Amino acid sequence: MVQLNTGFTLFLSLLVEAVPFLLIGVAFSSLLMFFVDERALIGVLPKNAFLGALSGSLIGLAFPVCECGNVPVARRLLVQGAPTAVSIGFLLAAPVINPVVFWATWVAFRGQPEVVFLRVGFTLIIATLVGWVFSRQPDIGPFLQDSVARSRFRDFNRESGEVKPSAPSALLQGGTFIQGAGDMGAALRIDTPMAQRLVANPALEKTFSQKLTLAAENMVRELRELGAVLILGSAIAATVQVAAPRELILGLGQGMVSSIVAMMVLAAVVSICSTVDSFFALSFASTFTTGSLLAFLIFGPMIDLKNIGLLLTVFKGRAVFYLFALAALMSFACALFVNLFIG
Amino acid sequence: MRSPQLTPAKPTKRRLYWPWRDILDVLAFGAWSAMLFRYWFSGKILLLLHPNYTWLSHSAAFALVGLVALTLFKIFRQMAGPQSGQTKDMLGHVTLMPPNISSALLLGVAIFGLIYTPRAFASQTALQRGISETLSLTRSQPQRFVRAAAPEERTIIDWIRLVNVYPEPDAYAGEPVDVVGFVIHPENWPDEYVMVARFVITCCAADVYPVGLPIKLSAQERSDYPVDSWLRVTGEMTSETLDGRRQLAIAPTNIQQIAEPKNPYEY
Repeated sequence: MVQLNTGFTLFLSLLVEAVPFLLIGVAFSSLLMFFVDERALIGVLPKNAFLGALSGSLIGLAFPVCECGNVPVARRLLVQGAPTAVSIGFLLAAPVINPVVFWATWVAFRGQPEVVFLRVGFTLIIATLVGWVFSRQPDIGPFLQDSVARSRFRDFNRESGEVKPSAPSALLQGGTFIQGAGDMGAALRIDTPMAQRLVANPALEKTFSQKLTLAAENMVRELRELGAVLILGSAIAATVQVAAPRELILGLGQGMVSSIVAMMVLAAVVSICSTVDSFFALSFASTFTTGSLLAFLIFGPMIDLKNIGLLLTVFKGRAVFYLFALAALMSFACALFVNLFIG
Repeated sequence: MRSPQLTPAKPTKRRLYWPWRDILDVLAFGAWSAMLFRYWFSGKILLLLHPNYTWLSHSAAFALVGLVALTLFKIFRQMAGPQSGQTKDMLGHVTLMPPNISSALLLGVAIFGLIYTPRAFASQTALQRGISETLSLTRSQPQRFVRAAAPEERTIIDWIRLVNVYPEPDAYAGEPVDVVGFVIHPENWPDEYVMVARFVITCCAADVYPVGLPIKLSAQERSDYPVDSWLRVTGEMTSETLDGRRQLAIAPTNIQQIAEPKNPYEY
């Protein structure tokens, strides 16, 4: 009975601490989704693959979205002709490199500030490197799902910041034209090409009040979805704390390697949102090695069950596997480094 | 983009449309808000969070009220007349669980939170988490150390931090003690010793850890002080050999049974 009380109190405590951050997270991500035009960003990104990956990783500062919101944004980036390095860097880093997550991690790990900085630092390194590796593939097309690849703009004019469809068709085009208004009597197009409108953020064309309504609706939807995942995650954390025998937890959690593997598996399965995952990790802080907590905090936002489903809407299975393998190996290496030399 | 609505022409009477999902959302968020307000006004929030962060939970309670109002407004508009094509899935939002199950889960947990009253952790949790006189590396390591002015003003965690910095127990012999905590009977201690302990919280109840000091009773009267009862102990410090090592212990002059404090944690 005492165990049950402890479990319930733990469970509620995790929820009550995490819900405010979840609210801030979904509010930010909803507002930015409807008010920031990522097309403007693409034009100013550096050309160099490494710098591109780095800046892609840092875009998260302007888009504080957790891992559920960043895949649609990364998809739009890819489709609108952002270099591969930028998109992959963004995909992996955005859930961690943003102010809300930094604050939440700071609140949770006030006692161990190194966790906060190592989390951000390692995520930046891993995302940049993976983005760089992916940029070696000159054309990302074969990695993408067919539907995404088809709608992509490959010919991206850097000087003018203009994007053009990959294969301007000579065939009849749909749209509204003024006959004979352009040079040489060619038709002048007066509306946005259909393809471009389909891939652009559809909300950007709406009025301010419509955007606000949409943002509020999106907020409710995300809160419902992420709140449910948070509840399941908290329930798992509380159950492990109360029900698992202490010897087992300590045996697993104090091992240099076993603790990291355990936390990475947990991160992939629990799928808890990056805004609140630090509170989940916190409940393991007294029994698990610092490196394993970091592995959880770095790897979880990059890849987890929920995220894989989302990634498969953009990338083909093989590319998702590469992403997964690279992220997992590098997170493991970073965590092991911390356990051996810092923790 | 407005798309024309394909509705059956029925001009006589408009069928009332009940947006069940939105209604479920209103109930769920409303219950969450009510739960947060309940913990706030009953003071139970202190059992769950560090006082530095209670304002976050209070603000969340208000924010949820705002969301409820927004959703109610939406329902009202929808019931007044069906709206044109809403952009439900236009952002490619992929969900892990069906929305109705998510809402039901949120609502269920909030109702549970409204009924259930959190309890302070007790000695069993302390024993399971392992009580230490020395703070392990994973715990809060203050970068700045301020020595509490008068010994009798130190709390249990103040004493533990002090011992952590300068572990020689004899250095504190004779200093006056005045601490409040709950009783633990460690299994491997002889009958004339009990431990007076407190949980320390840094963020939320998930990270509380116990600290405690031994009390040397004058006789084998351990049973006079039942497990989990709260005590105020005054006396002076001495050093005793327990668990095969010398450590700080309290030689009490007065032990007073008290009610559980409103805020059972230390910081």
